[in-house]
Amino acid sequence: MPMNSSLKRLNIDRLRHWLPLATLIILVTVVGVMEPVFLQPSTLLQLASDTAVLFILATGVTFVIMLGGIDLSLQSMASFSSVIVALTIAQLGYVSFGLAVGTGILAGFLSGIAHVKLKIPSFIATLAMGGVLFSAALVASKERSITLGDAERSYQTWVTGSHFGIPNVIIVGLIVLIVAHVLQAHTRFGRYSAAIGAGEPAAYASGVKVDRQKIFAYMLSAGFAALAGVILAGRLSSGSPTLAAEMLLPSIAAVVVGGTAITGGVGSIWRTLVGSLIISVVRIGMTFLSVNIFAQNIVFGSVLVLAVAVTIDRSKIPIVK
Amino acid sequence: MRIASWAPVIVLLLLCAIISVINPNFLSFGNMVRISQSAMIPLVLGIGATFIIIMGSIDLSVEGVLTLAAVVLSMLVLNGENANDYGLFAVAAVLIVGAGVGFINGLINVRLKVPSFMTTLGTWFIGVGIANALLGGMATRINDPWIRGLAIERFWGFPWGVWVALLCLLIALIIQNYTRLGRHVYALGGGEELAALSGISVARVRIAAFTIAGVFYAVGGILAAAQLGLGNAQIGNGRLFTTITAVVVGGTSLSGGQGSVLQTVVGVLIVVVLSNGMVLMGVPPSVQIGVQGLMIIAAVALSINRKLMKIIK
Repeated sequence: MPMNSSLKRLNIDRLRHWLPLATLIILVTVVGVMEPVFLQPSTLLQLASDTAVLFILATGVTFVIMLGGIDLSLQSMASFSSVIVALTIAQLGYVSFGLAVGTGILAGFLSGIAHVKLKIPSFIATLAMGGVLFSAALVASKERSITLGDAERSYQTWVTGSHFGIPNVIIVGLIVLIVAHVLQAHTRFGRYSAAIGAGEPAAYASGVKVDRQKIFAYMLSAGFAALAGVILAGRLSSGSPTLAAEMLLPSIAAVVVGGTAITGGVGSIWRTLVGSLIISVVRIGMTFLSVNIFAQNIVFGSVLVLAVAVTIDRSKIPIVK
Repeated sequence: MRIASWAPVIVLLLLCAIISVINPNFLSFGNMVRISQSAMIPLVLGIGATFIIIMGSIDLSVEGVLTLAAVVLSMLVLNGENANDYGLFAVAAVLIVGAGVGFINGLINVRLKVPSFMTTLGTWFIGVGIANALLGGMATRINDPWIRGLAIERFWGFPWGVWVALLCLLIALIIQNYTRLGRHVYALGGGEELAALSGISVARVRIAAFTIAGVFYAVGGILAAAQLGLGNAQIGNGRLFTTITAVVVGGTSLSGGQGSVLQTVVGVLIVVVLSNGMVLMGVPPSVQIGVQGLMIIAAVALSINRKLMKIIK
C-alpha cells in the first residue's frame, strides 16, 4: 500500500517537526507549575541569558551536522578562545575578541582541510583538533585559570551589561540567531549544505563544490564556538583551558533534540533554538529537584541517544556502524 | 606483507634509537619499568577499542566505563569511606559493570540503530555522570592491600598491574585468532553485507564485541584506581584520546577490517615511548596532548584506503 505508507511517512515527519516545540511547552508548563517562580519575567530573562552560550555553540555545530558531519572540538575551541581573550584583552582591548574568533575560524579551516582533503572522518579529525586546541590552551594559560580585573572587564560590557532591562547577552544571542538563520535558509551555502546532507553523490553530480561547502561549515562551527568562548569569558570574568569542558554534550544534544538529524539534510537554526531551550529548561528543572550538576550528564546522555534514535534517517545508512 | 604495515614498528624502533642517543638513561631497567607502568592502562584500553575499530565502529565510552569501574571498585573494596570489604568479589562486580555498559552500547547500536559514535558519546557522559552521582563530588581512598599491590608489589621487577595487562593481551590474542567471534569481527569490518549474507549474526557479533571491550575498559579502571590509590570522577580524563591515538598509530584502520591487537601494542608503545622521551627531554606534559592530536591526523591520513571510500562523513 504505497498510499498508506506515504501517509504514515507524512505523519511521522509532522511528529518529528512539532515534537520538539511541544516538548518545550510541556516542560515549561511542568516546571512552572512545580516552581511558580520560574515563570516570572526575571527568571525567564535569566534562563534566556544562560541559554545564549549553549545556543551559540549549538548553532555552529548545526551547520556541520546538517552536512552529516560532527564537530567534537567545540568545547576545546571555546575554552581556548576564553584563554586568548584573558591573555590579550589588557593590551589589545576589543581586538582580542576578534583575535579569538579569528583563531577559531582558522582552526575550523584546518579541521575542514584535514577532513576533506586528507579524507579523515569528521569525528576523528575534530577529536584530534580538539586535542591540539586543548594543548594550546594549556600551554598558553600555563595550566591555570586567569581571572580578569576591573579594567579588563570594562571591555566586556557588551556581554555583561543590559539595554532596556534586557541583558546584552540575549541581544548577542538574537543577532547570532538572525545571522545564522539567514546563512542557513537564505544563501547558496545553506541550500548546498542541505543538499549535501540529503544526498552527497547527487549534490556532487549536480556540480556543488562539496569540499568548499564542508570547509566553510567547519569554519562556521569553530568560529561560533570561539564566539561562545569570548562570551563565556565575559560572563565568568575569566579564561581557562577547561572553561567550556562540560559544554560538548549539551551542545550536540541541543541540536539533536531540536529535531536536526545527525544523518544530515534535515534541520534548521530554529530547531536548534528550541533544542537549546529544552536543554536549559531541563537543567533548571533538575536544579529545582536538586540533582547534582555533574550527575545531570546522565540525563543529557540518555536524552541524546534517545533523540538520535528518534530523528535519524535510517534509509540513508543501510549499515549502522 | 606490505612495507606500510611495518611502518609503525619502524617508527617505534627509530624513536627508541633517537631517544637513547639523546639520553642513554632511556635504556636503563628503571626506565623500562617506568615505560611499562605508563603503558599498562593504555594497552588494556587499546585492546578493547581495537575490536570495535576493526568492526569499523568507534567507541568513545572508554572514559565513561573506566571512571565508573574505578569508582565502583573504590566503594566496594576496603576503603576510607564506608565499611565495605568485598575484595575479589568487588573486582568481579566491576568487570560485570564494564560488560553491562558495553552490552548496552551494543544493544543501542544494533536495536535502535544509533551509530556507534553517538551511542558511545552518550554512554561516555552517562558513565561519568553515574560515577559522579555515586561519589557526590568526593574521592574514595582505596585501602585494600591487594588492589594497591597491583601498582606497588612487583614480580620480576615489574608491578603486578603490568602482568595483568599482559594477561589481557594474551586473552585478546586468543579471542582474535582462535575464536569464531574474532574472525567474525574481521568479517564485519571487511564488509557487513557480505558477512550477513554468509550467515553471520551481525547483531550478536556487534553486541559481543562491545561487551568484551567494556570488560577491558573495566580492567583499565581497576588498574587506574590501583595506580592512583583512589577512585574519583576525573580519573578517566584524557584516556580516550590516548587510546584512539594508540590504536590508529598502530595501523588499525578506522574504516574497519584491518588491524590487530598486536598492532595496538606497537601503537601503545609508540605513544608511551614518545611521551617518556618528551619527559626525559623536559617537554611539558600539556604539549603531549597536542602532539597526540597531530599523530592521530597523520596516522589516519596515511592509513586510509581512499579508493574504497567515496564519501567521508
